[in-house]
Amino acid sequence: MTEHLLIESGGPATGPAGERFAADAARLAADGHRVVLFLVENGVTAALPGACPAVEELLRGGGELWVDSLSTAQRALAGADLLDRARLVEMDEVAGKLLEPGVRAVWH
Amino acid sequence: MARIPHTDVMISLFGAPYESERITTAFRLAQSLLDRGATVAIWTCGYSTALTCASLGDSKPRNLIDLDRDHPSTVRLVKDLLAGYPERLHWYVCRFCADERGMTEQIPQVKMKSAFRFMDHVAAADKLLCLGVC
Repeated sequence: MTEHLLIESGGPATGPAGERFAADAARLAADGHRVVLFLVENGVTAALPGACPAVEELLRGGGELWVDSLSTAQRALAGADLLDRARLVEMDEVAGKLLEPGVRAVWH
Repeated sequence: MARIPHTDVMISLFGAPYESERITTAFRLAQSLLDRGATVAIWTCGYSTALTCASLGDSKPRNLIDLDRDHPSTVRLVKDLLAGYPERLHWYVCRFCADERGMTEQIPQVKMKSAFRFMDHVAAADKLLCLGVC
């Protein structure tokens, strides 16, 4: 199965497109693909409980949720504010994932 | 015709520099990729071609409430990044987009490319990330 790195930069406040993008990630995970959804910029607000149901569906389906630590700090959000299985990451870790052979990346 | 160097990742930047945090994120990602030893190409389209417009100079306009502090322009950020990774970072500017916006005077460290070469550069990269829309 293909591994996917999906990067969401908009979040719930930018309209339904962010929710649909997260739903794509959940669908890929449900189909057995390895999926990392990385939230950055305003996208990090999708990691707040109840903000984006598709993100919680992704986690139930076995996908990983990475949240940019700088974007989170800029918005005065703490790790404790986010979904339990959200993981704060630095950009270096995202670069490492992007460089892994076979990983497909999409920015939204 | 000059050979296009192979890169691990090509980042294509669209849209205006200050409409969001996108450019900051792109700089952060490029820096992290380069720190890991990767080769990177950045292609700017649309108003992102303004990032390397020569008339910007090296510093942003002075802050009237903090006159002594020097704030680097995007030109200086790009020049510093290119100087730090001279063999592994390549910065391209879409000539069509720059011409259309009157940004034809670019810093000499970047390469102006015809829009029709975009796919050649995509083909020379292992992975492509498109950030933003025109």
